[in-house]
Amino acid sequence: MFLGRVAGTVWSTVKWPQAVGIKLLLVRPYRLGDLPPGTAAGPTGATGSEPVDDLVVCADTLDAGPGDDVIVAFGHAARVAVSEKLAPGSKPMVPIDAAVVAIVDRVDLPGGGE
Amino acid sequence: MIRGTVVGQLWATRKARGLDGQKLLLIAARDADGRTTGRLVVASDVIDARAGEDVTVAFGSGARNVLRPGGGDRDVLCDAAVAAIVEGAG
Repeated sequence: MFLGRVAGTVWSTVKWPQAVGIKLLLVRPYRLGDLPPGTAAGPTGATGSEPVDDLVVCADTLDAGPGDDVIVAFGHAARVAVSEKLAPGSKPMVPIDAAVVAIVDRVDLPGGGE
Repeated sequence: MIRGTVVGQLWATRKARGLDGQKLLLIAARDADGRTTGRLVVASDVIDARAGEDVTVAFGSGARNVLRPGGGDRDVLCDAAVAAIVEGAG
């Protein structure tokens, strides 16, 4: 899983039938350099000069929106999250490998504020 | 698996049902020389790791094994879990 900020939405018309009705978001992962200085990673922490990671396209079942901080799960865990929204007993046979699984309220960073 | 340092804890009210009751930590990954790489991962924690501690994080089905040892874990919502608290590495 990773922590990221929702940067936008993706639309598509032509897609695999099992993916119809699943909202897709663009999420930018946080890097260590995005956190306040003084966090518990210590003085060898990154400087923040690393290139920004690729944006990740995620299925959204929690109705997150641009600017929300979210937790994204990959792989089977993403399909488990999506399947919670399907009919009971349905198998998560969807072409999804990343999904928003939580909208973050608070991040406790000892030594680095909140 | 990766090695990293716990930098904090995440709190969320709106979340997938499968995450209920899980403690989620924010972890800064380290490379072979022990330097942080800049990458942050979020992992479930059942061994009570604290901020500042070095840990190993398992991904995928290995992570589900940490949360529910012994199999029958296909319904567990977890793709990363703290597997060990590191005391030394060389």
